[in-house]
Amino acid sequence: MGRQLKFNIFRFNPEDPASVPHMDTFVLEETDAMTLFIALNRIREEQDPTLQFDFVCRAGICGSCAMLINGRPDLACHTKTKKLPDEITLMPLPVFKLVGDLSVDTGTWFRGMHQNVESWIHTNKVFDPKAPEEPMTNEMAEEIYELERCIECGCCIAACGKANMVPDKFMGAAAFNRIARFMMDPRDQRTTGEYFEVVGNDEGIFGCLGLLGCEDVCPKKLPLQDQLGMLRRKMGWSAVQHLFSKVFSRK
Amino acid sequence: MQAVAQARQAVRTEAVWDFLQMCTGVALVLFMWMHMILVASVNVDFGGGRVMNAIAYFFEATYMAQLGGPLIFLTMLAHFVLAARKLPFRVAEQKAMWVHTKRFNHLDTWLWIIQAVTAFIILVMGSIHMWTVLTNLPITAARSAARVQTGWWLLFYLVLLPCIELHVGIGAYRIGVKWGWIKRSHRQYFHGLENKLTLVFIAIGLITLITFYFIVKPAV
Repeated sequence: MGRQLKFNIFRFNPEDPASVPHMDTFVLEETDAMTLFIALNRIREEQDPTLQFDFVCRAGICGSCAMLINGRPDLACHTKTKKLPDEITLMPLPVFKLVGDLSVDTGTWFRGMHQNVESWIHTNKVFDPKAPEEPMTNEMAEEIYELERCIECGCCIAACGKANMVPDKFMGAAAFNRIARFMMDPRDQRTTGEYFEVVGNDEGIFGCLGLLGCEDVCPKKLPLQDQLGMLRRKMGWSAVQHLFSKVFSRK
Repeated sequence: MQAVAQARQAVRTEAVWDFLQMCTGVALVLFMWMHMILVASVNVDFGGGRVMNAIAYFFEATYMAQLGGPLIFLTMLAHFVLAARKLPFRVAEQKAMWVHTKRFNHLDTWLWIIQAVTAFIILVMGSIHMWTVLTNLPITAARSAARVQTGWWLLFYLVLLPCIELHVGIGAYRIGVKWGWIKRSHRQYFHGLENKLTLVFIAIGLITLITFYFIVKPAV
């Protein structure tokens, strides 16, 4: 007989005026190779069909099932219950808009982020569909792909002290990773000055407190710490250079 | 080449403030480590005070103490103002940060809370310490011993010492991480180094306080 797992799950339906935020408790017997995906589906099927949570791929690819698992943001589908204690507390990701219970709307946030950082290749070159594609070295393609692996689950944002403190006034690691990806791409012709306009302020990289919650929880193990450091150094140095050029041009 | 992004006015002030926060932080970290070497030199001749007095005399004869002291005070104030821009002063922000820290229970986030709390303690107690020392020049081992052996000063330094060393140790690590000098591959190493350095400096500070309290003969 497996362990009796006690689940404390946040419940609230913002669409229902009568709904009050509270925790519900469910008890479930642990089975072999049980993930939180399996556990939550069993709770919904066997105990409470009104429980709201998101899943699509069940394989750590879609990023839909991110939630706070005993306070730590992670993907429910790749979290095995055997790694967790007998009592498991599940909460929705903070910072994002709550849809209901464990379900949050990360889509609106990420769409806004992409618009804000202008998350596409900026170039003056006119696309010629008949011309052969410009070659890129394999190393460069791999470096770009490394940052492209973000699944937009929102764990980095939920783990960020600054994003929790000022939810609408901080871009967060997902945005910085996205900018770093385009800075690396030789096809993007934006200058450092143009990137600075997007990210060189307290809502951007200079607001980052360096707590590295993002780095420590990213389910895809993206090298976020190194991107944050690179961005701050590059943007900071650009600002100092600009200051010096202003001071010396006055003479 | 024509700009390829939407034209926006770049405001570089916040970047410059952040850069200056780092510069003043580095300056204060280096100062605090040198300061510890000066003060702990009283242990070199087992509380005799000759080594410490010689170093202190050098700093005063060259006017480094008279000019450097107030400059360090101004650097500390500047660092506080620059770093305080990141602190949550609104109650809602404080609550959000506290709830997040407790819920997430993540070491680097807790270290930031320690940094923020010790910043206020250092601002007040560091100012009191600097005022007392710089208005009672010259610095000598006997005068320092007299102060430590009087009233509440021992307790004062027993509070200030760990606050400073924690703030300095965490701050040095955080600067390295934030500005990308400490990479992912070296983070654990530098985290360990920061912990060890902090403990070593607290230990040296405690030994020095014991020397001042029990061994050095105070000035009358």
